[in-house]
This record gives sequence, structure tokens and C-alpha cells, in this order.
Amino acid sequence: MSTRTTSLPKTYHDAVVKWREAFLPDYDFLLDNWEKHFPNDPRFELCAYRQLGMCTEIECGEWQGKPKYNQASQMVPEQAHHLLGAIRAQASTEFGSIQQHRLTLARAQDEEEQFWILRMMAEELRHGYQMLHLLAEDDWSSVSKDSSSDMIEEILSMTTGSHVLGAFNIDFDSFVDNVVFCALIDRVGKYQLTMQRQSAYQPMAESMPQMLREEAFHLAAGVVPLRRWATSAARDEGFFTMDMLQRAINKWMPRGLEMFGDERGGGTNVRFGLKPMKNGEAQRLYREEVEKVVRDLNLRYLRARVPELSLAEAPLALDRILAGEAAPGAGGVRAEDLLRLPHAEFLRRRGVPAFRMVGAGGEAYADLHEYLRHLAGALPEAYRAGCDYKDYVDALAKVQGGELTTEEAASQMPALRRVGGACPCSKSVRWVVDAPSQAAGA
Amino acid sequence: MRIRPLEDIDISPIVDIDEKIGGRYRPEVWERQIGYYLRRDPEGSVVAELGGRVVGFMLGEVRSGEFGLEEPTGWIEVLGVDPAHRGKAIGRIMAEALLAHFRELGAHRVRTLVDEGASELSAFFVSLGFEPASLRPFVKTL
Repeated sequence: MSTRTTSLPKTYHDAVVKWREAFLPDYDFLLDNWEKHFPNDPRFELCAYRQLGMCTEIECGEWQGKPKYNQASQMVPEQAHHLLGAIRAQASTEFGSIQQHRLTLARAQDEEEQFWILRMMAEELRHGYQMLHLLAEDDWSSVSKDSSSDMIEEILSMTTGSHVLGAFNIDFDSFVDNVVFCALIDRVGKYQLTMQRQSAYQPMAESMPQMLREEAFHLAAGVVPLRRWATSAARDEGFFTMDMLQRAINKWMPRGLEMFGDERGGGTNVRFGLKPMKNGEAQRLYREEVEKVVRDLNLRYLRARVPELSLAEAPLALDRILAGEAAPGAGGVRAEDLLRLPHAEFLRRRGVPAFRMVGAGGEAYADLHEYLRHLAGALPEAYRAGCDYKDYVDALAKVQGGELTTEEAASQMPALRRVGGACPCSKSVRWVVDAPSQAAGA
Repeated sequence: MRIRPLEDIDISPIVDIDEKIGGRYRPEVWERQIGYYLRRDPEGSVVAELGGRVVGFMLGEVRSGEFGLEEPTGWIEVLGVDPAHRGKAIGRIMAEALLAHFRELGAHRVRTLVDEGASELSAFFVSLGFEPASLRPFVKTL
């Protein structure tokens, strides 16, 4: 297994470094403390990795078995257009998540958990860099009027609220969000990267293995603290409660499901050989995996609360509690003490169930105010005080009042699909003009 | 049987297998350990799945510069097979996958440490072609 390491052209590289200085100010702190928290791990390097020796034949779709493409110009225009959209969306998510994580990173109560998130942020920066490398290394003029430098500037100009996908336009309210985001939203990333590992566009496929290796740790940076917090909640220690975790899960899970795109779609990507699964199939597998995570957290809670429960007894007791049955020997733990995966239609604003008034438990609501009372009991208070929630409620009210169709409401949700050109008044980092001869653009 | 790289969702099944083998529930140990191996190289550790359930795990990595061993060396450090699924060559299949990965990373030798009393484990490694080495562990109680 060999890997090729490359850097972006200096202009773009410097722009990413400038972006890092603005949005990842703790980067130097991370490197200064690297040996303390990650002894003997190779030091972080801002570069693009391409895995060599991967499959060179298209692995799915209409042209399965044909040679993979090394350049966008070899692809059918619609195919290249879809690919370009995926690269820009992927890049946006990588940079976007750093902007979200930085808001609450300093609020971590545990130094190890904080450094895990900080390392994850640096690696997300590298993932964004990897996507910019795909934009910079190829000629996209056959499918975009924007030059590579325009597209890179546009991506580096995005801030929370103007990213491509909804999950990256929501502010974090506490360090609970940092951790739950890693466990739920990075898991969507794992599915997307795993699918893109089979991309018919060879540079995309070759970009995935190293990103996936790093992503595996990002999921652990979410799940391990969650397991520890569930344990301390069970022992009435620490400051995290199961209710806090439940509300954060309710906040993020609907956005995670929507990151797969409309449940009915994705067939074009499969046909073009860009992904091996349609949206609905990938979304279903993702949800099943999160169900496992939630069950594991509940078992961790239950066994910490009732240490006498054996390995064989604990799952049976959990099933009884969740089914609302008596569970002798389970220490009086009730279903409401445990975590539940919200219903797939809960709080959705994209896809098939968009703007249906479905509760976290799957119950249907007919009255808007009753539904809002339910949401008040299911979502973090700080989230409900933000504009994302307000915009959702405003749109929902219009759908319920017949002023908007669900499709119109979905398209109105703030900037979820804004992928236009770079805004001329953006506060982007622009190109670093300390080497005028290499500067590209204003 | 499916062999795949270690993931965060394997923590609970590994905790369970460890408890079935050793009789102790040690989630904190495995959360720390699996966090470490995922950080280092998730493909350097594997789990075996049967019918969608994790029935075995083998954790390791390639390191160099330790104990005077400058060459990249694969280390198999922890393994476990669900007692209900022993005798199905699960350990061997996991080891073959891991050894192939170590080879890809440039390791020409794989090492492990086995307690003298663990004859079953010794026999397992011997069956894989491992031989006793001259490098001996020394211990001092503090």
C-alpha cells in the first residue's frame, strides 16, 4: 500500500493556512501539545494524500468495468457536474465543521476530550484541503463557469449559515454538541467517504482511504466521551445528564438523515458510477448503525447504574425497560431515563417527511402549537433560542397554514443549498498576497 | 465470515467478548484501548463478524524504533474470540488479514508476547508460523 503526498499550489495552500489562522486558532496549541496527548503518532501535516494501487475499473453503474476517469473532461458533462457538486459539498462540510466546533471547544470539561476534538478539527482541515486539491488539479471548465480559484475562494468564504448542507449551518450550543456531532454527523461522513471510495473518478477514489482512516478516530472522539458521560450520568457524577444527551441527539439526528439527500434520490450517482448506493439505502444503514450506538450507550448506562446486572441479564433488562415492562433487578431504571433514537420523520425539513409534524417517538401531531410544545420538551433550550429553529418553525407554520407547499418551505430553509459563485462582499480570506507574482485573483 | 477494520461501534462487542473470556466487565479499558488503535491505524486492527455479530477481534499496529528494532515491525497486541465461536479458525483468518496489512505497510516481521502459561495461545501463534525469538521481556517490580 503506497500513498502519494502532494501540496496545493502555494497560493491556495497559503489561503488555507490563512483560513486556519482565522478559524482554527488553537492549531499551534495542538502541535505544541501533540506529544503529550498523542505520543509517537506521526505529527499532523497539512497535505493531500492519494492512495495508489486502487481499483482502476468503474465499480458500479452504467459503465461498470470500464476504466475509471482521471480527468473530469473524460466524463459525460452531467456526470462531471454531479461529481463537481459532490466535491464542493464535501469541501464545504469539512471547513464548515471546524467553524462549528471552534465555538464551543473551549468549554470542554476534560482535557483529553478537548484535544481529541482539536485533533479532529485539524484533520477536517486536511480533508477540506484534500477536496480543494481535487478542484485545483483538474480542469472543470467543461461543467462550470467558475474557475478552480473561484470555487476554492467560494468554499473558503463560507461561514456557518452559508454552507452547502444544513447540518453545517447550525451553531453549537455547548461541548455536548461537539461530541454528539462527531458521533452522528461524522458518521454520515463515513458513509459518504466509503461510497466515494468507489467513485468512477479515480482522484476522488484515491482521496478517500486516508480520509476514512482519520474519520474512524473522529467517530471515536464522539462515541467514547458519550459512553463516559452516560456512565457518569448513571452514577450521578459529573454534569452531563441523559436528558442533555437525548436533546442533542434529537437536534442532530434529523440533520444527519437529511445529509444523504432525498430518500427517493441518488439513482443518478449510482448510474454514473459515483456512489454504489442510493440515498435511501445508505440512509437506512446509517440509521441502523446509530441505533446500535444508542443501544450501547443505554447498556453502558444500565450496567453502571446496576453493577449487579450480568452480561446476559443487561440486554434483557434493557429490552423490558424500553418496552415499558417491569424489569426486576434493573434498579428502578425507567424508559425515560434512557436514550431513544428519534423517529426518522421527526423534525425533518428535507426529503419525504419534510414538515410533517411527527414527534420524537413517531407520534403524529395535528395541531401546530401542540407540536411546538412537544419540540420544547425534546430539543435543547439554547437551540430553540437560535435562528435555525425559528426559521424552521416559521416555515412549518406557513406549511400548516397553507401559505407554502412543503417543497417551497424546504427550499426556503436558510441557505441549505447555496452553491452560487463567491459573494463579492464576502469576508473571505482571499488569496494571501505576500508573493504578488503567484497571487491569483484579487 | 467477514473480516473488517476496527470501528467505534465495536467497543461494546469487544467489551462483551473480553467479559466472556475473563469474567470481568472492563468498558473503561476498552474505550481507552480502542480509541488508541483507531487513532493510530484503524486498518491495523480487525474484527470478525458472523451473521452481522462481532465474534472476534485482533488489535495491532506497525511501529518502529522500539527495543532497538529500527525496522517497521508489526505487533499483534490483543486478541479475543467469543468462546461460543471457537474452533472456527476465526483467529487464523483475522491474523492472515492483519499480517497482509502489516506487509503492505512495509513490515517484514511481526511480533507478539505470550505468557508462558498460555499454551493454547502459544500453539495458535506457532500454527501461524511464529517462532520463539531471542528478544526476552524483563520485568522488575516497583
